[in-house]
Amino acid sequence: MSNQDVTADEGYRRFEEFLDEWSRRDFLRGMGAATAFTVFAAGGMELLAACGGGGGGGGQSSSGTPKKGGHVTEGWAFDIKTFNSMLSQDVYSNLCIGLCLDSLLTTKANGDLTSALASEVPKPSSDGLTYTFKLNKNMKWSDGTPLTSDDVLFTYNLIFAPEYQVVASPRRGDFTQHVATIKAPDPETFVVTTKEPFAPFLAQHAQYGILPKHVLGSLQPAAINTADFNSAPSVGSGPFKFVRWDKGAQVVFDRNPNYYRGSVLLDRFVYKVVPSTIAVGNQLKTGEIDVGQIDPSQVSSLQTETGFGITSFVVPNFQFVMMQLNPDKPAAQILGDKAVRQALVYALNREGMVKTANFGQGEVAKSVEPPTSWAANPNTKPAYSYDPSKANQMLDQAGWQKGSDGIRAKGGRKMQFTVQFAVGSPVLQSVAAIMQENWKAVGVGLTTKTIQFAQLVTLITDTRDFDMILVGFNFTQDPDQAQLFSSAGTRPGGFNGFDFKNDQVDKLLSQAATTVDQNKRKQLYSQYQDIMADQVPAPILYFLKNNYGVSKRVQGYGLGTFDQYGTRPWMKDVWVTDGK
Amino acid sequence: MVGYVARRLIMAIPVLFGVTLITFLLMHFTAGSYVPGLQLDPNLKPSDIARIRSNLGLDRPVLVQYLDWLGIGAILQQVGLGGLLGGGHNIDTGILEGNFGRSLIDGTPVLTAVLERLPNTIELTATAIVLGAAVSIPVGVVSALRRGGRLDQGLTAISVAGFAVPQFWLGLMLILLFSVTFHAWHLPWLPSSGATSPIGGGGLLDRLEHLVMPAVVLAFFYLSNWSRFVRSSMVETLSQDFVRTARSKGMTERRTVYVHALRNAIAPLVTLVGLELPGLVSGALIIEVVFGWPGIGLLAFQRALQFDFTTVMGITTFAAVLVVAGNLLADMLYAVVDPRVRYA
Repeated sequence: MSNQDVTADEGYRRFEEFLDEWSRRDFLRGMGAATAFTVFAAGGMELLAACGGGGGGGGQSSSGTPKKGGHVTEGWAFDIKTFNSMLSQDVYSNLCIGLCLDSLLTTKANGDLTSALASEVPKPSSDGLTYTFKLNKNMKWSDGTPLTSDDVLFTYNLIFAPEYQVVASPRRGDFTQHVATIKAPDPETFVVTTKEPFAPFLAQHAQYGILPKHVLGSLQPAAINTADFNSAPSVGSGPFKFVRWDKGAQVVFDRNPNYYRGSVLLDRFVYKVVPSTIAVGNQLKTGEIDVGQIDPSQVSSLQTETGFGITSFVVPNFQFVMMQLNPDKPAAQILGDKAVRQALVYALNREGMVKTANFGQGEVAKSVEPPTSWAANPNTKPAYSYDPSKANQMLDQAGWQKGSDGIRAKGGRKMQFTVQFAVGSPVLQSVAAIMQENWKAVGVGLTTKTIQFAQLVTLITDTRDFDMILVGFNFTQDPDQAQLFSSAGTRPGGFNGFDFKNDQVDKLLSQAATTVDQNKRKQLYSQYQDIMADQVPAPILYFLKNNYGVSKRVQGYGLGTFDQYGTRPWMKDVWVTDGK
Repeated sequence: MVGYVARRLIMAIPVLFGVTLITFLLMHFTAGSYVPGLQLDPNLKPSDIARIRSNLGLDRPVLVQYLDWLGIGAILQQVGLGGLLGGGHNIDTGILEGNFGRSLIDGTPVLTAVLERLPNTIELTATAIVLGAAVSIPVGVVSALRRGGRLDQGLTAISVAGFAVPQFWLGLMLILLFSVTFHAWHLPWLPSSGATSPIGGGGLLDRLEHLVMPAVVLAFFYLSNWSRFVRSSMVETLSQDFVRTARSKGMTERRTVYVHALRNAIAPLVTLVGLELPGLVSGALIIEVVFGWPGIGLLAFQRALQFDFTTVMGITTFAAVLVVAGNLLADMLYAVVDPRVRYA
């Protein structure tokens, strides 16, 4: 399961950010204090005391020995969509699915795969085609029914067997492209054979919550999309079992007594939907939630809080600029020149973007591979520092001369672009403003244009009529980036909407994807990253950081880059100091 | 009266068709080729997008989709003309047959989703409307009686503030004060979001604690609006002949104001409150968003951002019907409150 942060929900998030903009203004803070004073003066206290809420908020830091009992409430600004692991695409649903439906394998914080329902991470056969999963013995669903390879086979058939074509799973395309057969030769064995060696297989396809055949198996294929199970999973295999989902409010889980990996310490887990990412900070303060992902704008102001600590880590989510390279489009006449693209990157103050637009919660990208990946090569050449004079020099050399208006031109064509991005994000807005300013300083004109998220998707995958697009995206734990940067992605519907075609890149990506040996793969990706740094078809500005507030009463909350969503391998050992 | 109601109802039909058609077209055109619910997932293949779009029936012409949503297809099929709407797809019953369809995001029936949220919304809006009306009438009357005085000026200032201050801002400030700051000061504090506590919640006190802030913000808005209205209406009434007559025949001032003038003055308020009745059910979007109140407004807001056509269409239809019904009801109530009004 991957970490999607670019969603239609983004619009909602932007609305919050807009609200936040307002509430953050200093004069409003002053007003808040003034209001408080007025209420005091008016003697409104008694009234409030009469209808006031309970205490709440423990906050003392204590280690001690883990004990059973109590609950944790985790707050998120988004409701989940489904419990069906084959339909789900968003991290919020994946998080809740991971709590009650374990997958064959899962991931540690650093991105290494680890065992879950399968007792160990399978090694591919010598020809690199076959993966044999051995399941743990004597596993049971929360209702006591045995969990066997039959359930696994059923789950994977939903994205493989032709009769389940109608199931609205976003996973079928990739799975059927690479997989030749799936089999369950005995109740504890599940075997997948791929068509050609496919190195990303385990990372991409072995981490889906396994679904109960005895609940869903009798349904008509089309009925899978709308099954009751999708919003109320009656049985589970994870550390918790589903209790109820009050839509728009909360999802409640209780300990699963049949959990195959031993006893779970918490009695109860609550996924609470809060109004906004800003509300996460507020509710951490009041103790209404114990854990929550903090909005970047609030991280520094929440550092001093005593009731909770902050855990931070870099994630493979990023923002980047797609540059039009399709020779049929006018902007490609300029951007088709590699030297121009490189100059444009040198002219960007990406450090400044991280600092001002993202409140310091990110890292300037050193390569197309995220710093979280085992394949990352942090020493790609050229390393793009913020160097306007070098940018000027390169543009001069490329024959672009500054005109009287300060904008460069060559052969009667001005170096002027329009960058488009999704409406409503203050972050993208200020990144675009920095781009505008940075490029203006080297004689490049930039106009900005905001569009609806859905139109942005259409623009990238379909119409592709743009100069530049500023957009967020994310990589998964596997370093394969073919969907974005191989020429196959330029087909209609693909994400390479900027039309980057490079034979060497295509060759390296496909070679790396079919090489099972990780060291050899790493070398191939290293070469790939060097070419990408040289070509910069779509420069990545920075990778983002996630920050979680975790109440001091909660212990063992092992949140990390790759184990924050999906099946959390550490979840069963979480405990609370006050036992509440 | 019956004839009048019948005419109004017939006039409502084109209105409802117009509202639904416009919403449908707007949603489809802003969505472009985006498939609701699908994200920019690097592992998503073009074939997945195409398959899911086709499964959802989104690859058909927009007008066909609209007719299908209405349920014309099912009617045509009954009379043997099912092929007219393009074969190949399942022809579902639609809104005309009482089927609001299923959400494109989570596959659950839209009507279920709406009905699930309805009690929360009614709890919030009914409290606010009652609170707003109960406070605005005395405030308006007092203002009118003390016209130009300091009390009137003070109340006017508060009303203007009620108009001028954005609801979301007021909501956020209340949260900051009564939840976050009060908690920090170790005072009794109010929960900052939701309709109940996630654990052990749902009791009367628990619901009240959650209800206070959103209901007060919403009521404050109604209050500002309605108290102004009552004030001007009262001022006008007090200067009318029948009030002077009542006074001149020696009736006490109290009786003159509270019995004779007030009844006449608040009659128009009935229309105003009636116009808010659809809001009673369709929800108070901004308040619900700020306070994470799991009502219909929040549902509509979230689903509109996700391009969940069917859910948005369902709620729009629901709201449109209520606006029409609310207007009609207000007009009828008006006849009850003001005997001079007769419909024929």
